[in-house]
Amino acid sequence: MASKPTRTAAEEYRPNRYVSLPAELDPATYDTSPEKRRAEAERLAIRARLKRQYLLQLNNPKPPAVIEDPALLRWDYARTHNVYPTFRPTPKTSFLGAVFGIGPILFWMAVFKTERDYREKLTQEDKWRLGFSAPLHSNKTHKDQTYCGSKAAGRCCWQPPIVGGI
Amino acid sequence: MLKIILPMTMLLPVTLLSPAKFMWTNTTMHSLLIASVSLHWLTPSYYPLKNLTPWTGTDQISTPLMVLSCWFLPLMIMASQGHLQHEPHERKRMFISTLIIIQPFIILAFSTTELILFYISFEATLIPTLILITRWGNQPERLSAGIYLLFYTLISSLPLLITILYLHSKTGTLHLPILKLTHPNSPTSWTTLLSSFALLMAFMVKAPLYGLHLWLPKAHVEAPIAGSMLLAALLLKLGGYGIMRITLLTEPVSNFLYYPFLTLALWGALMTSSICLRQTDLKSLIAYSSVSHMGLVIAAGMIQTQWSFSGAMILMISHGLTSSLLFCLANTNYERTHSRILILTRGLQPLLPLMSVWWLLANLTNMALPPTTNLMAELTIMIALFNWSPPTIILTGIATLLTASYTLYMLLSTQRGTLPTHITTTPNSNTREHLLMTLHIIPMLALILKPELISGTPL
Repeated sequence: MASKPTRTAAEEYRPNRYVSLPAELDPATYDTSPEKRRAEAERLAIRARLKRQYLLQLNNPKPPAVIEDPALLRWDYARTHNVYPTFRPTPKTSFLGAVFGIGPILFWMAVFKTERDYREKLTQEDKWRLGFSAPLHSNKTHKDQTYCGSKAAGRCCWQPPIVGGI
Repeated sequence: MLKIILPMTMLLPVTLLSPAKFMWTNTTMHSLLIASVSLHWLTPSYYPLKNLTPWTGTDQISTPLMVLSCWFLPLMIMASQGHLQHEPHERKRMFISTLIIIQPFIILAFSTTELILFYISFEATLIPTLILITRWGNQPERLSAGIYLLFYTLISSLPLLITILYLHSKTGTLHLPILKLTHPNSPTSWTTLLSSFALLMAFMVKAPLYGLHLWLPKAHVEAPIAGSMLLAALLLKLGGYGIMRITLLTEPVSNFLYYPFLTLALWGALMTSSICLRQTDLKSLIAYSSVSHMGLVIAAGMIQTQWSFSGAMILMISHGLTSSLLFCLANTNYERTHSRILILTRGLQPLLPLMSVWWLLANLTNMALPPTTNLMAELTIMIALFNWSPPTIILTGIATLLTASYTLYMLLSTQRGTLPTHITTTPNSNTREHLLMTLHIIPMLALILKPELISGTPL
């Protein structure tokens, strides 16, 4: 029936791009060698020492108002004050700075300039009126002309009087 | 004019000569009295300039800022009582004197009609602020904060001084009403371009504009509470106000100057709002939100239409009140835990429920909830910018969204969630803190009912 030998679950289900190996299928979980147990005992000793220091302060009859956590303070220092001293301009960081720092500024400057130049061009050619947010168009686009109240005035639809910009 | 400036200057002998028992009471009460008298500046008038003296004149864009600065002196004094409790009496006196020395210069800066007097008072506010930050800050980083503040402002204001003197040599006067009537410098040459650039740069650094804003998070974070309130509520507005005044002098310059400043301001509003989402330090978060809001003010100041100036004025006042309120709230946290780290002071709503009311109100106004004046200002500025160029709505819209998200993040981190297990005792909120928050909120709520007072339009 089965032409190839069956594989164990651990061999069937390998980690891929979307999912990592679950702990149950990792042979290292079932490893009970003395080195691993010694490493776990050391980590447990460190955690127990830290917990003992914390509980000593917490159960003190006159506890300090706030118990400091030095690890948190180090983490916060690293995130806020240690950024620039550990920065070095490399080709990669210079490239990233130029693309994400200066690039968007130039991009938006270009966007605004082209848009305003386009509007200026339309104003010069008298196809734009201040205070009205769409260019003037011909009445061929209106199929039903019953609501074009200003047909008598020669325009295809109502337009507000020319006002200054807001 | 003198009935405010003289009492304010005389507050200095009041501080220096009061007996120790009455020093706080005297200074707070007298500054509150001056603040209530200063409200008369807001009365409507048809004249372009009121309260005219040879060198000062108030109009609708200077009076709200002056009333705000008079209002803030008692608030700053009250806010400092907490961290100065254990200092010897001499040092408390020196601290209050430093605060009082700044006030006449700010009033002069907002009310003067001469450019040189404006420059002098603009620079004069720097030194007491430097003293506040470097002498009374709490961390060793305050020294670098003071240096950044001082040198950023000074380097950008030296070209301003030179251009003002050049303008005086060319036009013979620096009186703002007369400068409005003189013929503008006609041909667009390198000289006019550089002079407009130089005139604007000092205020761009002060406001601050996004690329030049590095001094602000440092200075705000390292300053004591009164310094943070002063910086956030008043000194940043000096930049905005300066832009609004100076742009009448740079009128016929090439329109190209708009683009870099506007883009930097709007993109900066977006960028600093996103930086706020990644902050671990509470005061730093509020400082970056100040940069974001002032970016909108700068953008509105650059396009110079009636609506945008109005929006910029309302935003400056509302942001001053809101930002200062947030700094006071952050300070109440700091006084209890001596740490500004956001995750260390979380879950405060069950602990301090009354203070959480103020946290909620402050965050609601910060994210421009209707019907507050913050919303009126943001909408006005967004509409004015949309009229200038429709693609700006993308930037302002995303900035508003990010503002709401980081404000929500700040509220949820400080108020909700599990209580930190390492805080064993917390002193309760005292009346002084509640009074401080009330005095911040009441102007904001009252202005919802009559925003014409701060809108910079003739009433």
